[in-house]
Amino acid sequence: MTHPTLGETTPGRDLKRRFVWLGLAMVAGLMALVVQLYRLQITQGEEYAAKSVANFVKHVRLRADRGLIKDRNGAILVDSRPSFDAFITPAFCTNCYDEVLPRLGALLGWDEEQLGKVTDQVRAARRSAPFHMLPVQIDLTRDQYDQLNARRDILDGVEVVPVPHRNYRTGSVLSHVLGYMNEITSEELSRLNAEGGSYALGDYIGRRGLERSFESRLHGKDGVRKEVVNARGRVIEEFSDKLGEDAVVPSRPGKNLVLSIDMRLQEEAERAFPGAAGAVVVVDVKTGFIRALVSRPGFDPNLLTGRITSSQMAALMKNPLLPMVNRVTGNHFSPGSTFKIITALAAYKTGLYRPETVVNCPGGYRLGSRTWRCHRESGHGPVNGKTAMQYSCDTWFYKVADVIGLDPIAEMGKALGLGQSTGIEVMNEVPGIMPSTAYHDRLSPGGYTKGMALNSAIGQGDDNVTPLQLAMVYAAIANGGTLLKPQLVERIEGLAGEVSERFEPRVVRKVEIPPEHLAAVKASLVAVVNEPGGTAFRQRLPDVVVAGKTGTAQVARLGSVRLKTHQMDYFQRDHAWFAGFAPAEEPEIAVIVLNEHGGHGGADAAPTAKAVFQKYFELKKEDEARPPSRQETPYVPPEDAVPASNDVALTRGRRAPAVGRNDAATH
Amino acid sequence: MQLRIERRMVSHVPWGLIFCVLAVAGLGIYNLASASRAQSNPVWTSQAGYVGVGVVAALMVCLVDYRVLHRMALPLYVLNILALIALRFVGHKAKGAESWFVLGPLRVQPAEFMKIGVLLMLAKIYHDDFRPNDDSHGLKRLWKPVLVVMVPFALVLAQPDLGTALMIFLSSLTVLLFGKVRWYLVATLVAGILAGAIVIWNDYVREAPEPRTTIVRHMLKAHQSKRISGWLDPEADLRGSGYHAAQSKIAVGSGGLSGKGWKEGTQTGLSFLPEQHTDFVFSVWAEEQGFVLCVVLLVLYGLVFTLGLGVGFNARDRFGAFVAVGVVAMLFWQVFENIGMVIGLLPVTGITLPLLSYGGSSMVSVMASVGLLVNISMRRHMF
Repeated sequence: MTHPTLGETTPGRDLKRRFVWLGLAMVAGLMALVVQLYRLQITQGEEYAAKSVANFVKHVRLRADRGLIKDRNGAILVDSRPSFDAFITPAFCTNCYDEVLPRLGALLGWDEEQLGKVTDQVRAARRSAPFHMLPVQIDLTRDQYDQLNARRDILDGVEVVPVPHRNYRTGSVLSHVLGYMNEITSEELSRLNAEGGSYALGDYIGRRGLERSFESRLHGKDGVRKEVVNARGRVIEEFSDKLGEDAVVPSRPGKNLVLSIDMRLQEEAERAFPGAAGAVVVVDVKTGFIRALVSRPGFDPNLLTGRITSSQMAALMKNPLLPMVNRVTGNHFSPGSTFKIITALAAYKTGLYRPETVVNCPGGYRLGSRTWRCHRESGHGPVNGKTAMQYSCDTWFYKVADVIGLDPIAEMGKALGLGQSTGIEVMNEVPGIMPSTAYHDRLSPGGYTKGMALNSAIGQGDDNVTPLQLAMVYAAIANGGTLLKPQLVERIEGLAGEVSERFEPRVVRKVEIPPEHLAAVKASLVAVVNEPGGTAFRQRLPDVVVAGKTGTAQVARLGSVRLKTHQMDYFQRDHAWFAGFAPAEEPEIAVIVLNEHGGHGGADAAPTAKAVFQKYFELKKEDEARPPSRQETPYVPPEDAVPASNDVALTRGRRAPAVGRNDAATH
Repeated sequence: MQLRIERRMVSHVPWGLIFCVLAVAGLGIYNLASASRAQSNPVWTSQAGYVGVGVVAALMVCLVDYRVLHRMALPLYVLNILALIALRFVGHKAKGAESWFVLGPLRVQPAEFMKIGVLLMLAKIYHDDFRPNDDSHGLKRLWKPVLVVMVPFALVLAQPDLGTALMIFLSSLTVLLFGKVRWYLVATLVAGILAGAIVIWNDYVREAPEPRTTIVRHMLKAHQSKRISGWLDPEADLRGSGYHAAQSKIAVGSGGLSGKGWKEGTQTGLSFLPEQHTDFVFSVWAEEQGFVLCVVLLVLYGLVFTLGLGVGFNARDRFGAFVAVGVVAMLFWQVFENIGMVIGLLPVTGITLPLLSYGGSSMVSVMASVGLLVNISMRRHMF
């Protein structure tokens, strides 16, 4: 060392003030860190603690089993079967859009459109609920399941989980009653969960029929199991003690529905019903419980519950027979001659007519310048109240309408439940139409005229009823004037069969009808089936007295030439009706058959009713001899259950002509 | 040149400083034992080894009179620059950056040593360029130190290693300010910081309907812009750019007052924390030990800084004082930036936390720096 430089002679102490400032600045910096630490750990500590818990706790949903639907003998009509579904948990799906989804799509054979749809769903779910499993494909085949399991290492966030899927064992039989399910919408999700439900995105919810109206009881309550997962979604067992007490909340299964439907009777009704479209209703006249219910064509609820393709959906929607419309309550029809009991009751009630009142039928009835034709061109000659019903002579009823007018008829019809909902609730319902003078004044051009009363008196004109309404009318006649509310569910049971809710018969109203009027009408209905000349004489039963009425309701206005059924276009043909009950002395069931565009009531509807009555009394005898044990077994449809809708003949079991083409030339 | 320890030097050994440094390093190993438990190999044993190596390095640094370093500053500096350039050609690539030489089992990060090299060079310049009556530096006098800083800064930035470059820049800036600059430069600096803050406030923070009028934002590329917004609001994009910051904040915040307990941290144990044993090691400490022990750790760091500044304060010459200031500034900025990033005050940059983060290069370079402080302290009365 030679000369010390100035720097060496002046030690660091010269820089004292700078050192102090620098030190203070650093302390200030550390203080800033401490302040921020205080904010995070003390002020917002709880909030972040909750976030860290949310980070590692995965809520595994324990699905509640949905309730079963059984017939009255315990045959299981609807249950659930396991299906393997592929799910994605968006939060655990790394490189989701670039790698995982395209790979998954390749394995499952998605097209571009499907892939785009799923990608959008995952994107949306990542924002709203990143830790919830999102279903991306249901019902994997065995091959797909194996492939996904084998490639799990390259499919981050993808899981295959067995999920119960609804299984409708009856196929298209009872489809409108049972209904179907499909995916819940986000609005429903928020609404139902606000009401205390436990639904998740991708869940199925009842859409129609019993599935919809009993959703709250069938659904049950989901449970939850909490698991500790690491950042990659892997379950880490040794941290399970961090979960606390309520780590598992068990699920509560939904309740089972027991229907009033008897599948044995239902099978017979399905077998005996010949039409491509139409309805059969069998109702217990004392209680209002429905024993069998055919609505054809039906749809396959298994298909509609999540597995329908767009082309199948389009075919279903384009089908001219409208399979999605239930024929029992969802559409109304002219009742034709089955309506005549109401006209007769109205006539007797006025006192102007008695069952013995004779009217001469020359084959028509003249009112003003027009003639109303009786269905028999040559006329029935002199007929009274009973024989008019027996032969279904229109003239007697024209005369009644001419004398008493429309309103007494309308009054009787409304009292017996026409023109208003039956209140069944399970299915969509139209109220039908029971026209009155006020109705025509309001809606018909030119207002009410007498001719309208004549049309309505024989169940034509603006008269419109649903098969179920008509069933309840006949049931009321059978039981002495009590209009009942139709019901499908007898009781709701818990898992062990304990009854949690029992449905009692519900009376809509008692209709005041003098017993002698009822007896007269019943006698005439008995004559229809059991006396020669009755329109349903061929369909009488040997050992049971059936009371009933046929009906042939015109669909198209009559032309100048009378056409035979097979000469008309399908959609122009008459509706064939049969309405009746049995046994006539002590009625038990009422049966309504509507064969849409089927032809004549006596030939195309009454045989079905006959078969149903026969089966009913056979079963009754069988059950009395050997009471059926409740068979809690899955329902197995009979071999020849119901022909698929494209195979079914449009009328009388013949093969269907191309719809809309006149097939007269082929006969 | 003396390679021996004299008896009178021992009385000036800064035992307080050494204690604090070793205490922090000890806590670091303890913390690493928990932080690395989710991994297959427990890294805390190797970290203990690195501490040992660091202590040896520090002792070696102590042996050499720091005035020798004064003379060696320029060659050391040039050597470091050459190493950085050589890295361009033979460096080991990881995560897109060329940062390491691989020498057998060792990985050496020249940028770590460059930090010290720059500080030595700066101290030399300030020592040599001393004018007792004209202490403050104007632009003309600053060209030399600025050049000395900018060359390695540019080289490190090009690796690219933004974090280390930033550290070189900040610690050098501290030294430059300590060396006193003209007031207008200070004013410019303050104005610059203010302007930056205003731009960020206007472009990102201010509540305004989109499209808002922006000053700089529209000129940035999307990923650059995202980095800034990710820093300001990490929870806006949890799985993407904000993941590290958000998970780190959750870890720190969930620690609360007293922490979840050693090896009990869920963020750590379940691997929600990224880089939990290196850059984000502080979040492990915060989650498991809580607020009180975080403050204790910060106090220990604060003691290291003040004791280190004390060494400079008592240094025998300007070179020693400036080296001490530089070393302390470097440690301070690393601690500040690292913890600031972990607790969501500062944007995420790849800076390790001195003495706590796992890593040999970092540990050895910090220990060597501390060795420099001890060296300066020991020789403060020697002529």
